[in-house]
This record gives sequence, structure tokens and C-alpha cells, in this order.
Amino acid sequence: MTPTTGQKTTIEFNDGIVRQFMLASLIWGIVGMLVGVLIATQLNYWQANFGQAWLSFGRLRPLHTNAVIFAFVGNMMFAGIYYSTQRLVKARLASDFLSKLHFWGWQLIILGAAITLPLGLTRGKEYAELIWPINIAVAFIWVVFAVNFFWTLARRNEKSLYVAIWFYIATIITVAMLYIVNHLSIPTSLLHSYPVFGGVQDGLVQWWYGHNAVAFFLTTPILGIMYYFLPKAAERPVYSYRLSVIHFWSLVFLYIWAGPHHLLNTALPNWLQLLGMTFSLMLWAPSWGGMLNGLLTLRGAWGKLRTDPVIKFFAAGVTFYGMATFEGPLLSIKSVNALAHYTDWIIAHVHAGALGWNGFMAAGMFYWLVPRLWNKPLYSTALANLHFWVGLVGILLYVSAMWASGITQGLMLNATTEGGTILKYPNFLETLNAIRPLMLLRVVGGTLYLTGFIIMGYNIWRSTRGAAAVNGTMEVYVEVPAPGSRLGFRGVVGSAPVVYTTIILFAACIWMFSHGVLMFLGFCAAAVTTVLAIAHFESRGKAWADWYDKLLVSALPFTILTFLAVAVGGLIQIIPMITIDRTLQTEDRVARVYTPLELAGRDIYVSEGCYNCHSQMIRTLVPDVMRYGDYSRLGESIWDHPFQWGSKRTGPDLSRVGGKYNHAWHYDHLQNPRNISTGSNMPSYTWLMEKDTDYVSLSSKIRVQRMLGVPFPAWSPAMIDSLAKEQAKAIAKELRAEGRYVDPDKEVVALIAYLQSLGKTWEPTGAPAAKP
Amino acid sequence: MTPPPEDPNIKLREHSYDGIQEYDQRLPNWWLYTLYGAIAFWIVYWFIAIQAGSVQPDGQRVQAEMTRIAAVKMASSIDVSNDAKFWEMSKNPLFVDAGRQTFNSLCVACHLPSLRGKSETPTAVGPDLTDTAWLHGGTPKEIYHTVSGGVLAKGMPAWEPVVGQKKTAELVAYILSHHHEGETITVQASN
Amino acid sequence: MSNEPTHNPPPPAPRRSAHQPVRDSVTTIGADGSRPFLYPADARGRFTGARRWAAYLLIAVYLLLPWIPVGGYPAVFLDVAARRFHFFGFTLAAQDAWLLFFGVSGLGFALFFLTALFGRLWCGWACPQTVFLDHVYRRIERWIEGDAPARRALHAGPMTGARFFRSAVKHALYIVASLAITHLFLAYFVSLPELWNYMREAPGEHWASFLFVFIAAGVLYFNFAWFREQLCIVICPYGRLQSALTDDHTMVIGYDTKRGEPRGKVGTPDAGACIDCNRCVQVCPTGIDIRHGLQLECIGCAACIDACDEIMVKVKRPKGLIRYDSLAGLSGRVTRWLRPRTLVYGVLLLVGAAVATFAFSTVKPAGFLVYRTGGAAYYVGPDEVRDQFMVRLVNKRTVPATLTVGLDGVPAGLRQTGFNAPVTLPPLGETVSPLVLVVDRKAYRGPFKFTVRVQDEAGSFTLSREVEFMGPDARLLKEEEEEEHEKDHRH
Repeated sequence: MTPTTGQKTTIEFNDGIVRQFMLASLIWGIVGMLVGVLIATQLNYWQANFGQAWLSFGRLRPLHTNAVIFAFVGNMMFAGIYYSTQRLVKARLASDFLSKLHFWGWQLIILGAAITLPLGLTRGKEYAELIWPINIAVAFIWVVFAVNFFWTLARRNEKSLYVAIWFYIATIITVAMLYIVNHLSIPTSLLHSYPVFGGVQDGLVQWWYGHNAVAFFLTTPILGIMYYFLPKAAERPVYSYRLSVIHFWSLVFLYIWAGPHHLLNTALPNWLQLLGMTFSLMLWAPSWGGMLNGLLTLRGAWGKLRTDPVIKFFAAGVTFYGMATFEGPLLSIKSVNALAHYTDWIIAHVHAGALGWNGFMAAGMFYWLVPRLWNKPLYSTALANLHFWVGLVGILLYVSAMWASGITQGLMLNATTEGGTILKYPNFLETLNAIRPLMLLRVVGGTLYLTGFIIMGYNIWRSTRGAAAVNGTMEVYVEVPAPGSRLGFRGVVGSAPVVYTTIILFAACIWMFSHGVLMFLGFCAAAVTTVLAIAHFESRGKAWADWYDKLLVSALPFTILTFLAVAVGGLIQIIPMITIDRTLQTEDRVARVYTPLELAGRDIYVSEGCYNCHSQMIRTLVPDVMRYGDYSRLGESIWDHPFQWGSKRTGPDLSRVGGKYNHAWHYDHLQNPRNISTGSNMPSYTWLMEKDTDYVSLSSKIRVQRMLGVPFPAWSPAMIDSLAKEQAKAIAKELRAEGRYVDPDKEVVALIAYLQSLGKTWEPTGAPAAKP
Repeated sequence: MTPPPEDPNIKLREHSYDGIQEYDQRLPNWWLYTLYGAIAFWIVYWFIAIQAGSVQPDGQRVQAEMTRIAAVKMASSIDVSNDAKFWEMSKNPLFVDAGRQTFNSLCVACHLPSLRGKSETPTAVGPDLTDTAWLHGGTPKEIYHTVSGGVLAKGMPAWEPVVGQKKTAELVAYILSHHHEGETITVQASN
Repeated sequence: MSNEPTHNPPPPAPRRSAHQPVRDSVTTIGADGSRPFLYPADARGRFTGARRWAAYLLIAVYLLLPWIPVGGYPAVFLDVAARRFHFFGFTLAAQDAWLLFFGVSGLGFALFFLTALFGRLWCGWACPQTVFLDHVYRRIERWIEGDAPARRALHAGPMTGARFFRSAVKHALYIVASLAITHLFLAYFVSLPELWNYMREAPGEHWASFLFVFIAAGVLYFNFAWFREQLCIVICPYGRLQSALTDDHTMVIGYDTKRGEPRGKVGTPDAGACIDCNRCVQVCPTGIDIRHGLQLECIGCAACIDACDEIMVKVKRPKGLIRYDSLAGLSGRVTRWLRPRTLVYGVLLLVGAAVATFAFSTVKPAGFLVYRTGGAAYYVGPDEVRDQFMVRLVNKRTVPATLTVGLDGVPAGLRQTGFNAPVTLPPLGETVSPLVLVVDRKAYRGPFKFTVRVQDEAGSFTLSREVEFMGPDARLLKEEEEEEHEKDHRH
């Protein structure tokens, strides 16, 4: 043990806040999963939205994802972080007020989300749907969390930071960075805003965020939680400290780069796609490093798997983490992605992670915490075991159904005939029809999993009922750090690992982004420095290890280094893309701006969440081009704030649907898709026929778009109003001629105007396509 | 407190965090090699695709693919702008026969097996294809265009994406076999 | 961990290998990250024999399935190219591919059930990794290079000509076996005559298949020649999930601590039954000491049971110091076979089987789909309202089928063109044809629902789908007519 000086005191931990977050996570988890089961049911029986706009799939799917990510995992993470951090740093949370503010602020945000999303108030970007006032609240509460956490670190009595704390630090700073950048927007009203980025820039920023929300909201905090709770439950030492070091730094550094793998085979510039794919492949080893460290820690307590539900949940959770992180790099290979992207295979992958990793780690943690937070044994171990088995069966059914579904539909969509010259199943509905039974089995699997969670809720309720909440206490020595035990600024910047890493990164960047001699020099410099670094490490490994031990007692330098590690990937990918003049990235086509009515229709498209099921991106793949037309160019979505490339095709792509059918077709289809498309599972959008188009806000919307650089003419508000109304009248007249009576001022007319513009708004440009 | 490891090669770090201790064991080297392999793969791939430019950009690749598919289609059909070739085909019994088969499975629903459509039965859906009056142009090239692209507003589907170019050409040849080269064509204004 | 010894093991006996298993580490991961290669000794006994016969039977089944013809097709033939899946004379079309789900989840449930009863029985007895490794590759190794001590000595010794020759022959045989397994696997997806063609023609002509065979055989070779137990320990998720599915009444391979401890040579006073001969460690293919209790690496191969029993017989003690038993059994309680879990799994398995049987029995010999032709929902002519559909008919049987398409619930006066006569489809054939429905304007009373019905000639099955006949609001048509009427009057 490190020699301790100073006086001995007894501290009482703030475990009340842990209890609150834990119960909130349990409740919101059940709510989020219930919404998931409901919308999965809607995919089979569209009538399950009961004809209510606010219950329709496009609005509830964002609620499901947000509830599970931010409400369920968020609250679980806060509970786990607050419980373990206090003990790992031997200090009570710095401020009871900030803790309370954090808890109640977060619950209010969730409540706000649960109200606004079903109302169709959305930013139209996945997992970033919440409207701007809520964004500000989230950022504020996150800062409250950060202040509370780092203040606690500052008051710690355990000077050295344990690996769990490293992951918490990475989580807090990275999520802050991602969240703020991806939510930059300019309001047009109290409830509506446009993101500052558009088209491919918005796409890149969105998936830099979206991918790393998975990484730094669903993975790193849970890994930290694993590093505390798993050895605690197993009563075994962690398998490998050096593995913790390697896997922490490689994970936080590499994860950020992998975002573009969500946009493979799209119009995204090739160099970004390549980085997304190759860095995803590199991620396999660090991810498995974490899995193996957990698993091999459990190894010494493997016999407990038979009796202890906590260990069961942790073993299965870690295993699912391994499966999901094996599948992730696999899906990032461009040719695999060509089959799997936009299909249910991705849904299977996500749920292996969410249900298997997040859900089971949460359950393991809750079952471990309850007896300790209420000082009373768990009400029923048998029920906890039942939860485990029911949950596991649920995951098995869900994931295998979605695998089968994704692969079946992917193969059918890509199937050709007549020597590869025409599609075998030209009608999208045929492929949907083939997977309908599997969509039903997914509901069964999801319901079983939810049942497991409800069983846990009952078990915890029975365990805590009548039990007295207790707060943990600990006797600590107030340590006075010995002089020279911490690293100063020079000790960090001048240290061998930092210097080598900086030089290697710098040289590698020169190699990557230059040509000719400079490229060669950059490559050589990177290679030589790497060899030198390895040689240095081999001969002076002890010094490196000592330096790292010192770094671990220096929280601020550690935090700064972590921030730099996560910032590099984003900087290299995003800065070139958003600083470049976007009109140079058009691939010979540039879109005209939308007419006012089309813009109104687009906002309805976004608000109804059409992007949840329809992509607007024809990939550079033969089956895509054969089915939907010429592949999408960057310039076609250049003015789209937000971009609507989509990530799932429950229905067909819409990039070039404009002009394909007449207005009446769209009217009939929106009124009841089954009118046109036998067997379609799209909701009937009858409310579009009743609600009036919002003409009033158009002028402020166009003003904001002009601010963002979209070349709208300098129309006066009156002009905008009359342009929109004239076009609406013209469309209504055509509809009338086709036998459909419709009031021109209804939303359906604006939406039809937008749909008919898709794929029709571009003009060829003479400008050469930019190649960074 | 964890007992000391049984094997002296295994190092247990002294420091304990809330009772958690850490061994300092290695993972298999082959695990590390997969990371090195992935890094090497990235370097090579980046060099080949981005710096040497040896990999065709996706857009060009898919265009080349589509051109190849178009070439396959052309190879198995004819120059669709060549009227004389169509007339020649309409005299080739094998070609016409193939066209008849496709016609009888896909087109008879509207144009009737006789091809006479509304002229035979006024309630038939499709117009007469044997007379010299045409709605959308009567030259072989124009007929091909109508069959392949359809007249969606009236309910005539686009057949080329369904049956392919060769069968479309055969259909045109079959229709032309009911006509003579050089006959007077009238084009009615569409109703 | 209550049943595990808490004291340190006695000092190592001279016969021990350098890698005596310890609880804190993995035997096959060296302190420097290298991979200590295992030389498991031969076990003899009832489980070893039974496993061998089970493995031969499984290999024979794997081998024969793509060979035995049932109903004109191999017993199992997944024809991905044509999207037809043949199982024992039963053919599934692409549209029925979802039924494969029952295969996947049925296997899963069976595994759950078996695991609840017998732990990782699958791993030790039936997993292809174990079957091929233990009963093909290790047999080759044993045959060429001798038993475990001989192999260890050979590999520790210098590279002589004889050693090189043996090694070359061994690896050549490994490669042959890997290629054979790959082709066997391919035979499930490509019909045998075609596979034979592939093999005779130049690789360039079927480069995708060639590349697949090349890479897959390479992976198999790497796996079985070197990687071996690392797959089970590090990669495979099923082993871990199976471990999590066991409970204290599950029969797993266990060491009877109460009987065995404290260990001691024969004749040591107060010693337990274990003479610490280390035979159980020597035979273990994953390098563990079963006496440490249930471990991550244990694949349940039962080699240690046979090894221990053999020794127990020699020292004239009762067999079963290491045996299949539950945690309850080993700690002196009674193993409960019937417990809620096994009952529930059993019931679930039966329900699943029943649902699967029902699902398969409802698979009709044909399939059909109705969808509207692109364009508009309906067309209004001067005298009629018209809806156009495309109908895809699929014959899923290996004999020709003649199918009739009929309509139910349509108003009198509706005219149907397309499918006016029965359609004959070749074996496994399909067709897409238009179905055009016309209602006279005068008879038109607005949209209505009707049923499309497909029957075969013998009337042995009927398929039906409800479809809507779309058209304008009848009042609108009337209005229009009246306008026309007025116009005519004015003229």
C-alpha cells in the first residue's frame, strides 16, 4: 500500500443520488422498451398507431431511440459513475446541490423529449432529434455533471486514477464535444431550427456524432462501470493492467475515426469512406481487449456463473459486447455493407449491443447495487435468474429474426436476372412481403426482453419496499501528495510517449494528405519515429511505466491528453470538409433552392420522421442504380439543412421519386398507402389532409437558410407567401383534374410539392468535382 | 485482499482501488498482430486507393458497370433506332415467335390475342395494334420507345425494366409482323 | 468457489509440463504473450470411445447430406444462386426463407435445453471445431508424429531431416483435410455436378468460388493446425453463453473435492482419493486443471474423466473422482433433473417445434403476390374505371403445376382480362403477368375490396389475398357526368 500521511476521517457517500438515478433508469428503460415493442408492432400492423399522428412510427421511433440511449442508459450510467467514482477516489460527491440539479434537470429533459417528439417537433437528425431549447438544457446539465465529477476528482483522497475513471473522463469530455458540434443550429422559432451544416457536411458531422454516441455514451461509460462492478462481483483482480492501458488509449483514439462507415458507398468522398472502413477494422482489437479483460477477470470466478445472477448478466453482457464489436468491423467492410446497409441486419447488430451489452450490464449492476444501497438481500434470486433466461431468449429471437430478415431482403433487393441486366424483384413490396413473418417474430423477442425487465422492476420493488436506504461510509486518510509525485505541464509535454505520438501523428498526416516527395518523407518520418519509439520503449519501459503512474495522479493533464486523443480523428475528417467551399464539392451537379412550398413540404417530411424509413441516397452500387436511378451526387443535397440521406430502408429510396408518379398517386398513397401498394406497412397519413400548411413561418425559415448560405433570392415575406400559395393552388388544381378534391392549404399539398421535387432540382455545373 | 499469484511469473499490482487489484498479464501476441495487421492494411489501402489512384472511384466504377450492363443488353438486342433492322426482324419467324410468347403472357390482357384491342371488342383496354393509326408514333423506333418506357398516365406499363431489352425488341418485331414496311401511318392526337 | 481448494497446490512433481495450470492465468497465453502449444495426452475409456463414435457419425452425416438424393435433389441443398432451399425433399422458395428462422432459433433452444441439463455438451461432443480437431487433425498428428511425449520431444528437439519430413507430411495432410472440408461445405451451396465442373475447370472461370475455397481452406488450416483451443477460449461466444446457462443442478464435469482433498501419494496418511498424478491435466485439450473447478476453458470433452478413472482403477479406488455431476451433487445434495428451467425450456422447445411444424405445413406448394402496376392507382376512361395489377405466381414444387387465378367478391359486370385461362408453370418456375380489372362507369359505386384466389387444378390448396379496387369517389364521377350532360344540352 502507498504510505499515507495525514489524518483519518470517515466520509459518508452520497448514495441517495445513485438510488434516484438507478430507479429512474429502470422506469425509463421499461418505457423506452415499451415504445420499441409498440413501433415494432406497427411495422406489422400499421393500425397500431390508432390513427393518431403522435403515435405514428416516424415520430415514435426517435422517442424509442432517445429514451433507450439518453433516459435508460443515461440514468444507468450516472448511477454507476456516481457510485463507483465516490469509492474509487475516496471522496463524497463534491456538491449535493449539483447532484440534485443533475438528476432533476435530466429527468425534465427526458420529459421534454417525451412531449416534443410525439408532437413532431424534431431536428430530423438521428439521436439528435430534440429541439434547440432542449439541446441547450442538455448541454447545461452535462456541464453540471462534468463540474460535479471533476470537482469530486479535485477533492479526492485516492490520488491515483483507476481505469474506470479514465473511461468516465473520456465519456464526459467527448460527449460534450460531439453533442455541441452536432447540435449547432440557428433557430427559426422557439420550437424549430436548422442545423448550421448542410448536405454532405451535415452527414459527416451527424455520423461522427451518431457513431460516437454509440462509442462514448453506450460503450466507454459502460466499460468503466464494467471495470468497477465486474471485479467487485467476481471478487477477483482485474486480469491485466497493461491491457487496460493499451485498450483505453487505442479505443478512444480510434473510435472517433470510424464515423464515416455509416455512409459507405454513398456520395461521401472516397477518402473519408476509406478512413471509416479501415479504422473500423483497427477497432476490433481494442474492443476485444476490453471484452477479454472483463472475461478473463471473470475466469477466476467462473464457477459462480452457476449460482450468481450478477455474474451471469456480466458474462453474457461482455459476450454480447464481443459479438457486436466483431460484427461492427465486419459490417464496415464496403462489400458487406453493400448488402447489409439499410436492412434489418443493422437493426440486429444494434440490438445485440443495446439489449445484450447495455441492458445486461445494467441489470447486473442493478442486482449488485440493490442489496448494498438498501442493506437488505435481493428479494428473489430465482426471479433474477428468470429475468436472465427470459431476456436471453428474447435477444436470441430478436437478433436471429433480424439477421434472417436483413440478409433475405438484402439478397432479394440485389438479385438480378436476364444475365444481370434487370432486377429480379423490381417491386420493393415483394422484398417487404418476404420479411413480414420475421418482423412479427421480432415483436415476440422484444416483448420477452421487456418482460424480463418488468420482472426485474418487480424484484427491485419488492427488495426495496420497507427497506431503509443506507449510504456507504468509508474511513479515509487525507493524503498529502508528496512533492514531485504529479506531472507538471513540462512533465507531460516533454515526456517520451507524448512526443513520439505527436511526431508520428504529424508525420502520418503529412504522408496521408500530400503527394510526391513530401508524401514519401512523411511516411519515412512516421515509420522511423515508430521504430525509435518501440526501441525506446523496449529499453526504457520502466521509465514509461513510471511516467504513466505519475500521469494517473495528475487528473488535469490526463484529461487534456484524453481530449487531444479523441479530438484528432474528428479534426482530420471534419475540418477539411466544413472549411472547403461547399460549391466545390458538387460532383458536377448542383441543386437549385427549393420553392417556398417545397421547403414547407420538406419540413413536414422531416417533422413526420419520414427519414426513419426512407433514404435519399442512391449508392454507387449497381442494384441501387438499377432500382432507383442514377447514383446520388453531392451537389444534389448541397442545400439540405438537415441532410436526409437516411440510414434505413423500410420503404424504398426517394431520391428520384419526383415526377415518377402523378400528384393523384401521391395523394392516394399518403391517404392510405395500401391503396396503391398492396401489403405496404406504411402508416396512413390522413392527418396531412386535415392540417393546414404553416405558411407564416416560411419567411423566417428562408431568412435563416439565407444566413446559412443557401442562395435563396431576396424575397419579401409577402412574396414568399404568395409564391407558396400559388404553387399550392396549381397542385390542388391538378389534383382536382385527376379526380381528387383537396384544399390547397393542407399539408398534403406541400408534401406532394416536395416529393415531386426530389431528384428534379439539380442542374449540371461546369465546375470540376473537388478532390481534397 | 487478493492472495499472491500462484505462478511467480504473474505480477499482481500492489495498489488497491476500493479493494480492486490488477494483475499485469499479457494478452496473446496474435491478438496484437491483428491490430498491427489492420494498421498495415490501412496504410496499403490508403496508398493504393488514394495516393496511387489505382482504385477507380466508386462513381466511375458504377457508371462503367452500368455501361457494361447496357452493352450486354445491346448485344442481345439490336440497334433500337434502326427501323430497317426492326423490319428485318419482323420477318424472322424465330424472333417473331419469341415475341408472340411474351405478348401472349403480358400484353393480351389489354390488347387481346388478336392484337386488335378496341377494334375487336370496344370494351377492351388497349388500342388496336394492327391498324395503321397510332397514338404514340408508328415507326418501329417509336413503337419500341412506347413499349419499353410505357405510357404511365394511361396505364401502359414500362416493360423494358420488367422483361429486359431483348424481349422488348422481340415484342416490337411481333407487332411489326402484322404490318408492312412502307404502309401509310397516321398519328392520332392523344385523347 | 466453496467447493474449490483454498490451499496452494503441492510443489510440482518432475513429470509436470512447464505450464502447470494456475487459477489466475490462461495456460495457453504465456507470460510474454506467446502461445504455449499443448500436447494433450491420449485418454482411453468409455467417454473417449463414445465421443469418437459420435464424431464419426456426425462426420458421416455432414458428408452424406449433400449426396443423398431425396425427391430429385440432395437431402440438403441451399441453392443460393436460384434462391431455392431443399431440405429432405421439401423445397422452400425465397419467399419462404423466413422459415430458416426456425432452424436458427430451434437450434438455439435445443442448445438452451441441453445446456441446462448437461452444460457444454455441445462443445465437447458435437461442435464441428471439436469434431474435426479431435477426430481428424489430431488423429493425423498422432499417426505421423506419435503420442504426446513423442510429439513434445520432437518439437523441442533440433530440426532434423526426419523431423522435417514428418512435419511436411503432417501439414500436407492438414491441407488436404482442409480442402476436403471446404469442398464439403461448398457442396451444400453448389450442386455436386456443378462442383465437379468447378474443380475440373480453370480457377479463373469460377474465380469467386475458387477464392472462397482458397481462403476458407486457408482459414481452416490455420485454425486446426495452430489456432485450435484459442478459438474456444478467446473467440467463440457460444461457449460463454452456455456457461451462463448452467445452474447448480446442471450436470457438468467436476472434481469431487470432498473425496479428493487433501491430495497425496498412495499410502499418505489422511490423504484424499486424489493421488495428484496430474493425469487429468495432461489429457486436457485446453490446458486446465479441472480440480480448480468449473472454468472458462472447459469444453466438456470428458477426457479427464476417462484419465482419472483409469488411474483410480489402477490404484484400486472407486471410479468417479472426476465425473459428470452437478454442483449440488458434488456438494452432497441431490441433483434435481426436473426443475422449473428444464420444464420451461422443454415446453418452449415443444411449442417451438409445434409452431415450426404448423408453419411448415402451411407452406403451400405455390406462392403468389399481387401488386399494382406502376403509374396510378386507377384509370378513369370515358366509360369505365380500371385497375391494373401484376400477379407473380411461383411454383415451389419440383413438378409442373397448373394454377387458376380467380376473383371473389367483385360486383357483377366487372371485366377481368389476364389470367382468363389456367397457367402452367414448370418445376420451380415462376411468372409475372398483368391482371386488368374494368368496371363500367354506370355500374361503378366507388372503391371496394375483393379477394384474389389461386388454386391448383386438383383443388388441393387455395391461396388468397385481399385487394382493394381503387377508383374515384363515385359522387365526383356523377358530378362530372352531370356537367357533361349540361354542356351537351347547351350545344
